[in-house]
Amino acid sequence: MLAATARAGRLFCGALTAPDGAQLSSWLPQMAPFRGSHWQTSVLAFRASLPMRAQPKKKKKVDVKREQAQKDRMKKKIKKLEKAAAEMIPIEDFVTPFKYSDGSRVRSLPPLSFEETERRVLLLKKWSVFKQKQDKAEKQAIQTLVEAQQEALKELRLESEELYQAAIKRDEQLFPFERDGPSYTPPLPGYDPPEGKCIDITKVYTQ
Amino acid sequence: MAAAASSPRRGYRKARRERGGKVAAAVHCGPRATVMAAPGQRALGWGRWLCTAPAPRPWKLFGAMCLLRLPRITQPLTKDEEEMAALMGQIELEKSCYSDHEIRKMQEEEQLRRRKESGYDDVDEGPGKTVIMAQDLEEKWEQKFLQFEAAPRLTDADKSNNRTSLDRRLDSNLLLLVKQKVGNQELWLLPQAEWQPGETLRSTAERAMATVLGGHVQAKTLGNAPHGVYKYKFPRAIRTEDNLGAKVFFFKAFLQSSDLSQAELKRDCLWVTKEELGGYLKAEYLKKVNRFLLDL
Repeated sequence: MLAATARAGRLFCGALTAPDGAQLSSWLPQMAPFRGSHWQTSVLAFRASLPMRAQPKKKKKVDVKREQAQKDRMKKKIKKLEKAAAEMIPIEDFVTPFKYSDGSRVRSLPPLSFEETERRVLLLKKWSVFKQKQDKAEKQAIQTLVEAQQEALKELRLESEELYQAAIKRDEQLFPFERDGPSYTPPLPGYDPPEGKCIDITKVYTQ
Repeated sequence: MAAAASSPRRGYRKARRERGGKVAAAVHCGPRATVMAAPGQRALGWGRWLCTAPAPRPWKLFGAMCLLRLPRITQPLTKDEEEMAALMGQIELEKSCYSDHEIRKMQEEEQLRRRKESGYDDVDEGPGKTVIMAQDLEEKWEQKFLQFEAAPRLTDADKSNNRTSLDRRLDSNLLLLVKQKVGNQELWLLPQAEWQPGETLRSTAERAMATVLGGHVQAKTLGNAPHGVYKYKFPRAIRTEDNLGAKVFFFKAFLQSSDLSQAELKRDCLWVTKEELGGYLKAEYLKKVNRFLLDL
């Protein structure tokens, strides 16, 4: 019994101090009775006093339950956060920066004369008429374009069905159609643009 | 029966008769009708319910390409547009607030004014210390702008009215015209080629363009469908039952490459605007072409 106790004690000490267990066991007296741990109330009854129950899983069950409860709580929190409406991305143009909020930047101009207001109103009316005429002309031009094409397709159909079918097929290479618009002056031949780097500082938001 | 009696003006009636004939032929011939279905074959009579052998139609087919060089500069503003632009600028200025540069300029002017009134004896400005005023900056910018010379809107080709160059009239569409032999006449037309069996009309038109310009041209054809048609009858001398006239189908393309120095010009060709077309094309032809050319 004593030998078994001593052996158990040694083993336990060895288990406790794993890295230098060899050293510990080397200076422990072989046959001296001692308490392996504070759990060991009596040297003889060591097996019963150590927390080695017949059902070690009980503790793990409690652990599992606690862990599951924790996970559920976390999931609930996550769901709550997800349900909350996404924060809108602010439109920079509609938000007036703070430094322009005081009235010191308001332009001071003399009030418009009566003639000036009259001139403006008349010019705006003339402009609306001009634009209306322009729009009508454009629509008429588009109408003639479409009519001409319909006529051409009709004539083609009279000629041959096969050519007609080939003509009304969609042209896959037409779109996307890209074209640089006209500028005010034509490009200068041999122009050397100045060196420089453009750093983009626009704020990018993610939702 | 006498289909050849109608004059070119009565093309519509003829077309209707043809259409009726063709429908009948289609009904009779069914799936065995090939590309060139017999146009009614009035000689054989309407009661002939057999599938007639496909005879070639009396119309010759041509594919013509309307190659456009798109404008490179904006059109000049009309008087109304200029007045409106000025007014818009004024209104924008009135509705705006002061910018940082303007505020700085105003403050510096204030300082200068105060210094002038209080006299020139202030020790604030140490000797050798130069302050760049907003006014100086503006002047510097103005100088830099004046040093830059943009290319002129009116090019040399404009001044010399060189119609073969592509640099003329940069603010409008330029159309390609070639002198081709039709029948026994040399006429100015849009480049055209006769349709060969086995190709689509679009490829005919592209072939016509390639024969005139040499094949190195990058042009984007706008779709597979023709934009216009010109139908004409041959003069009575060469007109026969089988060879009534021709139909020219026009296709539109935009010129992508900006210079054609590598193109070998096989024939005389011109680049003209829509207004100048009248001086080159025949009346009927011009009428049809004008329908599908936008004035911008």
